[in-house]
Amino acid sequence: MPERLDNHLKERRTELGLTQAELAELIGVTRKTVNTIENQVFVPSTILALKLARALDMPVEELFFISSG
Amino acid sequence: MKSFTIGLVLGLVAVLAIAVAMKWRQRNLPMSVAEKAEYLGKRRARMLPALAIIYITQQASYITLQQDAAHRAVNDAKISAWLALSIILLLALSAKWFWFERKEVRDLLDDENTRANRSDGMRFGFIFAMLTCIVIYFITMFEPVNGRDVVHIVMSDGLGAALIRWGWLERVAHRDA
Repeated sequence: MPERLDNHLKERRTELGLTQAELAELIGVTRKTVNTIENQVFVPSTILALKLARALDMPVEELFFISSG
Repeated sequence: MKSFTIGLVLGLVAVLAIAVAMKWRQRNLPMSVAEKAEYLGKRRARMLPALAIIYITQQASYITLQQDAAHRAVNDAKISAWLALSIILLLALSAKWFWFERKEVRDLLDDENTRANRSDGMRFGFIFAMLTCIVIYFITMFEPVNGRDVVHIVMSDGLGAALIRWGWLERVAHRDA
């Protein structure tokens, strides 16, 4: 079965009451990038994943995980 | 030769005029860096397929000119305008866009997702250009093809394919954003 990188980005972001634009501004990317990561269209680099984890105050391995299928 | 240079200069002046007009239109829009990057990013996503269509439709004009036996200065100007557009599109593909914007806006416009989409577009364009070379190679077995025509076809196909792919990826990325 093919593996893919899944994430809890949307859940965590809404939990903290942040919009995509606010999160994007926090990590220095555009809203489009946050949106594509949330929708699993784009796999972020390690640097960006770590920045997201820091901004959302969550361990990176909890924010991102591998799911199959 | 002179008409080629005139066409090239005219093409570059036209692009510069468009850039200045775009900048003028935005003068009364107070926006933060993030808002401006969002606004320009969306506009770029809309512009890319349009640019690709304009670029590719120029090929029809080139083919018509080839069949025109009379070698006129206006033909040279049109061909050099194609060259000017090719150079600009190549620059747009390989460097950041919106050269007249502030550095922060340009950096944000060239974020990780954009770079990934652009790279994918360039990869697609390269594959398409190589496939075009293969097709032309087979054609030359049966019919001689002018070197200049080959450059024209390969460049147009490669750049056109890269722009369409990049534009499509950008539009997908902006969807629901």
